[in-house]
Amino acid sequence: MAVSVNLKLNGAACRFEVEPDERLVETVREKAGLTGTKLGCGVGECGACSVLLDGKLVCACLVLAAQADGCEVFTVEGLAPGGRLSDLQRAFVEEGAVQCGYCTPGMLMAAEALLRRHKRPTGEQIRQGLAGNLCRCTGYTKIVAAVRKVAKRRAARGGRR
Amino acid sequence: MPSFLSLTSLEDVAEMLWAEGPTCALVAGGTDLLVRAPRPERTLWLDISRCAELAGIGLDAQGRLRVGALACHQEVVEHPLVRRHARLLGLACASVGSLQIRNRGTLGGNLGNASPAADTLPALVCLGASVRLVARQGAREVPVSELYTGPGQTVLRPDELIESVRVPLRRGRAAACFKKAGQRKGMCCSKASVALDARVRPGLRLVDVRVAMGAVAPTVLGVPAAEALLEGQRLSPRLIAQAAEACVAAARPIDDLRSSAGYRRAVVGALLSEGLLEILERLRRAERRAEGLRRARRARGRGRR
Repeated sequence: MAVSVNLKLNGAACRFEVEPDERLVETVREKAGLTGTKLGCGVGECGACSVLLDGKLVCACLVLAAQADGCEVFTVEGLAPGGRLSDLQRAFVEEGAVQCGYCTPGMLMAAEALLRRHKRPTGEQIRQGLAGNLCRCTGYTKIVAAVRKVAKRRAARGGRR
Repeated sequence: MPSFLSLTSLEDVAEMLWAEGPTCALVAGGTDLLVRAPRPERTLWLDISRCAELAGIGLDAQGRLRVGALACHQEVVEHPLVRRHARLLGLACASVGSLQIRNRGTLGGNLGNASPAADTLPALVCLGASVRLVARQGAREVPVSELYTGPGQTVLRPDELIESVRVPLRRGRAAACFKKAGQRKGMCCSKASVALDARVRPGLRLVDVRVAMGAVAPTVLGVPAAEALLEGQRLSPRLIAQAAEACVAAARPIDDLRSSAGYRRAVVGALLSEGLLEILERLRRAERRAEGLRRARRARGRGRR
């Protein structure tokens, strides 16, 4: 028996019929067609499916789609409306923080959540903020550098992006 | 495939559990449920995440800290009442999973799943916390230390659910530590964990000492022998080593995929040592600071005369 779910997905009101045991990552990828969110481990270990649910960073593989009814979901596609990269995404490109790219959408969402909470994060806060996201290519150094860079730039612009 | 039902009042949930308890799987954050599917006879996934009565953190009528079953780990970490009166619980919740998991997984779920490795359990046992269980017929309170009968096994009846956790407030200067050993620092499940809570007295002494261990026995384990050693005594590296030895002696670990019994036994002592040595260092620093202040005050006093 399908369940009706209303979501505000990257700002747009959407309605989906979901299965009772369907995960939000499936709804986002298969039903909304937003395949930027990646399904990695499927058990909350790797963070590749990270999205913001009502502003909070969560693994979309561990959220029951039916439970998200009435919630706001923000995915990596929401960072770049109209395909224009955000400053955070540009910093990832500039710093070489992307290699195979599979972890990147989740990393971006974790970094976005971090920068919303901490305008000037310390190195430790950045590493803590990304602790739930695995990258097997970069060794993290360049990802941390990208986050630090964008935080510094935003601070120099008085918090504006 | 299961069916899904979302209920928004505690009364309706209790009614449903009374009628259909054995066939229901309660869904709060879902971080355990979606990793390890419930038994097939649980055909109704009952969403309780919208029950306002199960949410929130505050003080109850008896002045105890009340943490609603639906409070997620991160909410506990950040709450000012927890920081002030139950710092140990905040330390344990902060060590759970990643931010993604802490934003979703609930304290009630961590308690209800009854994993021997659950990080919040040693902390709650040290703090003398109780769990309030609600059923259609009425409510009862069970101390966290008496909630478990084995791995994944609790004293909850099929018609009961966890409403909240109640933690007595402990006044006075606290010393607390939560240490766990895992595969790595972040985002890991405990191979072994130790929690300690105490009040600080002058002369590097701890009183009201509570020590509990996780993942080294079928259920969370208090360590009265270590508590007795530490109670009221002046902390020293030698005393700390003795208390750690008491933890090693009390542990009853098993070999499993996460670790071996031998490693668990050894590391649980090392964890208590590490935590207590840090506490000792903090207390010494505080004493030196206080001594410096006293001296400065005396010097000023002399200057005026």
